[in-house]
Amino acid sequence: MFESMTGIVLALLGAALAVGLAGIGSAIGVGLVGQSASGVVSEDPDKFGQTLLLQALPGTQGIYGLLTGFLIMQRTGVVGGNLLNLTMEQGWAVFMAAMPVAIVGLLSAIAQGRAAAAGVGLIAKRPEELGKAIIFAVMVETYAVLALLASILLLFGITF
Amino acid sequence: MAIVEMKKIYLFAHRAEKEKMVRALQSLGLVEIRQVEEKPTWKGCGDLRSIQEPEALHRLESRLNEIKYSLDLLARHFPLKKGFLEQFAGSKMTLTPEEFSTFGAEGEQVDKIYQACRRLDEGFTALGNEENRVENLLSDLAPYRDLNLPLKELGVSERVSVRLGSLPAASLAQFKDLLAREAPETHVQVVSQDKEVAHIFLIYLRDCPPVEAALKEHNWTDLQVPAHLTASPAQCMAQLEEKLAREREKGQGLLAQVEKLLPQRPRLMAYYDYLALKRDRLAVTDNFLSTDQAVLMTGWARAADIPQIEEHLAQVGETATLLARDPVEGEIPPVALKNGPLVEPFEAVTNLYSTPSPKEIDPTAALAPFFFVFFGITLGDAGYGILLTLLSLLLLKLMQPKGMGEQLIKLLALGGGAALCFGILTGSWFGDMINLPPLWFNPLDDPMKMLIFSMALGVIHLFAGMAIQAYRSIAAGKPWDAVFDQGFWYLLLIGLMLLALPAVAGLGKVLAIAGAVGLVLTQGRGQKNMVMKFFSGLLSLYDLTGYLSDVLSYSRLLALGLASGVIAVAINTMGRLVGSAGVVGFVLMLIILIGGHFFNLIIGTLGAYVHTSRLQYIEYFGKFFEGGGKAFTPFKINTQYVDLEEREA
Repeated sequence: MFESMTGIVLALLGAALAVGLAGIGSAIGVGLVGQSASGVVSEDPDKFGQTLLLQALPGTQGIYGLLTGFLIMQRTGVVGGNLLNLTMEQGWAVFMAAMPVAIVGLLSAIAQGRAAAAGVGLIAKRPEELGKAIIFAVMVETYAVLALLASILLLFGITF
Repeated sequence: MAIVEMKKIYLFAHRAEKEKMVRALQSLGLVEIRQVEEKPTWKGCGDLRSIQEPEALHRLESRLNEIKYSLDLLARHFPLKKGFLEQFAGSKMTLTPEEFSTFGAEGEQVDKIYQACRRLDEGFTALGNEENRVENLLSDLAPYRDLNLPLKELGVSERVSVRLGSLPAASLAQFKDLLAREAPETHVQVVSQDKEVAHIFLIYLRDCPPVEAALKEHNWTDLQVPAHLTASPAQCMAQLEEKLAREREKGQGLLAQVEKLLPQRPRLMAYYDYLALKRDRLAVTDNFLSTDQAVLMTGWARAADIPQIEEHLAQVGETATLLARDPVEGEIPPVALKNGPLVEPFEAVTNLYSTPSPKEIDPTAALAPFFFVFFGITLGDAGYGILLTLLSLLLLKLMQPKGMGEQLIKLLALGGGAALCFGILTGSWFGDMINLPPLWFNPLDDPMKMLIFSMALGVIHLFAGMAIQAYRSIAAGKPWDAVFDQGFWYLLLIGLMLLALPAVAGLGKVLAIAGAVGLVLTQGRGQKNMVMKFFSGLLSLYDLTGYLSDVLSYSRLLALGLASGVIAVAINTMGRLVGSAGVVGFVLMLIILIGGHFFNLIIGTLGAYVHTSRLQYIEYFGKFFEGGGKAFTPFKINTQYVDLEEREA
């Protein structure tokens, strides 16, 4: 009984890490931008909308993590009721599939937070350059998107 | 559907009509006024000079600063309430030009308000300082509250010194020991003590050297009290509290006075704009040249607007003469875009990157269909699409934004339409909330198919970008550049793609080799040395990695589309989990569904907009677009607080 359950435990560990690590990264990233945004808004409250837009950018990694976690839960039947009996191998496979989003999500969200925080500084001086500030931050996000893609393709590639 | 043709214009008028002309140009808002650059050599205009009125301008500026100061004071104490949405777009009050012009006579009244504001501001500052002082005293006295000693007893009398003060708690024991040894007659009383500081009441023989030395050694700090505090610490504190309350009351009084000024705020705002327009008119005359009789102004206007400008100026003044000509070599006209109503919202995408240079093609029409499709795929849900379009239309109606704000919201409305189309194709209605069969297929069932489709779209996008660059080369009279730089790449890339299909792999091989050889032979043509030519040619094949990463970049279409779809499913699942638990569950389910889908819509829209823009800017524009033009910024009515209603023509 215990032997046969280890697979699902590994799969859930993967889901937990995808949601958890990517979420931590996003929390740190969004926090970084929030700090510089508060500084700018204290000088010019009208920049609230623009800075909020930038603050939202590093938040997506957390969502990618949640998305991966949810997909794992759905595919393994944690959500929906029919819990699958995973072998160790399947469990490890699901765990590995979660890793791209977990690791890249954690680190890219922090890096993106830094870029977006610098972007807040940019629009403090030149509000008309919001588009460029966003692009700089989005360049970082590309790698989170690629990691999400890898995680999704891996997950769909595993047969249960 | 492109960059508008601009004309350089010269406007002559009699000096007496200068003011009228400037006013007319401002309300028209169709001419960008520039410094007169050339030294005209027309007969009889030898003595041209610029007309500047720095003093008048300076007076206006300082006046504007005064009003700004008053408005800032009012806003500091009574912030203008703005809705969440207005934060993004800003809101103004609307006035007719007639109402607006009545504000011209407000000078004296506004001056009074300004003086009142100054007085109030000074009052606030003084109050603030006093409050700080009292609060500091209070916190200084607090440790001695329990000591029943009138503060007037402090000081040096004939025989003894009486002191209140503090030293670090850590050295208290040592200090006491020292005094007990060296000056046992000293009275040491610890009034209160916390972790860091001990507060001490001390009486010792006047000028007793060992005590003085001990005080110095242990960093004694005297309590500083102003002379008027004579009663015991507790009584003094009561007095101070009372004073503080009085000061705060005074502050309330001042605040009430500020509040009385509040009804004047709209008037101040309108007057500010009135003066700002006047300032703009004055500032723009810096660019003019003048003789004794006439003034000359130059600038740029859209060719299509010139008849209207001419007509309007003729109505306003009798002497205005307008000349217009095409830009000459070396002149860089400002850039204005003109596109059809469906494409126009996409100008915001172009302009957020860069205004096109006057010599290139306006990329807006070329990016619009791709932006539309990509946005649709990344948001990818019919329900969200309908919601986004409805919300955008509502915003347009409620806020009536102008300029780029209007374009962006229209862009979102169109994007919602795209998401609706794609949602119907993939059968996604708020995730799986409404079960409609997909017209095409559901990417969740076959993500690989969607991935290949995304990258195929990417190839089309990239090829379109290359085609535009090829067209530019041909239009510039360099057809061979188009063949070398784009044609060979087409051969190589198409060949490589055909290699993947077994049926046509042979053809693909031939095409790819032909393309590669062509590139090696031609890409070094800028180099002089034969060897360098060869090596730069060979090196250019390395750009293949660039194309590869460009194409892979489009995989984000799949990833983001899946993201919003799967999150929507997750929200529905959570809703269903709680929905079965009776009435409370049902309410909870509604909250989860509405809140969750709204949140996902916002995040999904942000992601779709941002990533779709990126694909245009990095992958697409990288192939052909230069940018760096200067946007056409006509001299116009530019107000901060007041919206003027359209003037009846």
